[in-house]
Amino acid sequence: MAHQAHAYHMVDPSPWPLTGAIAALLMTSGLAVWFHFHSTTLMILGTILLLLTMFQWWRDVVREGTFQGHHTPPVQKGLRYGMILFITSEVFFFLGFFWAFYHSSLAPTPELGGCWPPTGITTLDPFEVPLLNTAVLLASGVTVTWAHHSIMEGERKQAIQSLALTIALGFYFTFLQAMEYYEAPFTIADGVYGSTFFVATGFHGLHVIIGSMFLAVCLLRQIHFHFTSEHHFGFEAAAWYWHFVDVVWLFLYISIYWWGS
Amino acid sequence: RDTAVALVFYYFAVDCFFAQGLRPGVPAESPAMVFATPTKVVSEAGSTVEYLGTNRVPDLQRLFQTSDGVPIHLKRGVPDKLLYRTTMALTIGGALYCLVALYFAAQPNKK
Repeated sequence: MAHQAHAYHMVDPSPWPLTGAIAALLMTSGLAVWFHFHSTTLMILGTILLLLTMFQWWRDVVREGTFQGHHTPPVQKGLRYGMILFITSEVFFFLGFFWAFYHSSLAPTPELGGCWPPTGITTLDPFEVPLLNTAVLLASGVTVTWAHHSIMEGERKQAIQSLALTIALGFYFTFLQAMEYYEAPFTIADGVYGSTFFVATGFHGLHVIIGSMFLAVCLLRQIHFHFTSEHHFGFEAAAWYWHFVDVVWLFLYISIYWWGS
Repeated sequence: RDTAVALVFYYFAVDCFFAQGLRPGVPAESPAMVFATPTKVVSEAGSTVEYLGTNRVPDLQRLFQTSDGVPIHLKRGVPDKLLYRTTMALTIGGALYCLVALYFAAQPNKK
């Protein structure tokens, strides 16, 4: 039986990069087909394939790490670098939308009435639901840190409860934001104000949902004894992502909701 | 705690009877409901009390570390194989469907 003479992870051949790439092809072509021929079949097929790919790929990562022991310290270091680089790329993604917002709001054009908020736009009161949303996300930052310390100290029940509470707060934020979207006196079609508002907060909301899903997977793994007090990188990655989502909201709140109102 | 829960259900049930204006042709008293065996206080039970299931990781470690040459995405057997085949069928079928759709989309509009 051959054993490797190094601490790195030589992955088994896997079909998921191919299925993921085809999923991307189907989703993008499907988008174009939807726009021109009013059929959503291709796009939906692509989305299903994407979900199947994500589920099986990450299931395999859990198997390789938790059940096969491939996530040695050097491998874990690589995973840490990977997550940090990914979050950095997401920071740049949001930077673009903040650029768009400040470009339009710092020098409002005559078409907007030369002022910001533009003429005719009734902004949301930053001290109502948006402030509650800020409190909810900040609280969730506390609960996720509580969860981390519970895992490190081997407190199984507390870890499960604090992680569940974090996810509940995430869902509460999403629910409140959905209500705000429904009740808002302006839409995405209302000039550059509507565009910058809904695209920036919309992508943020999507990231809250993604972060909540990541944390939910961690909750399931914690319940199934996958994490040890020394080794729980999946949870740490989810917690990093969650803090990132929280910080983006703080910037959104200060810039768009508060300064921009 | 179980008694409290049982009482809540009992009052709710009785409330429903009278809220809907039903004549209690059936006795309003529900049988004593038992939801679980009496719970132990954690301090009594000692450190081996279960919380949400037992640890199956060692068994799974044994399963996934068998040297059978099966790649990780198929190592659990039948459920893995089914999911893989479904995904691959959608991949190949979807790719072909996409190429056909793009071929037709690229045709000029006959006007």
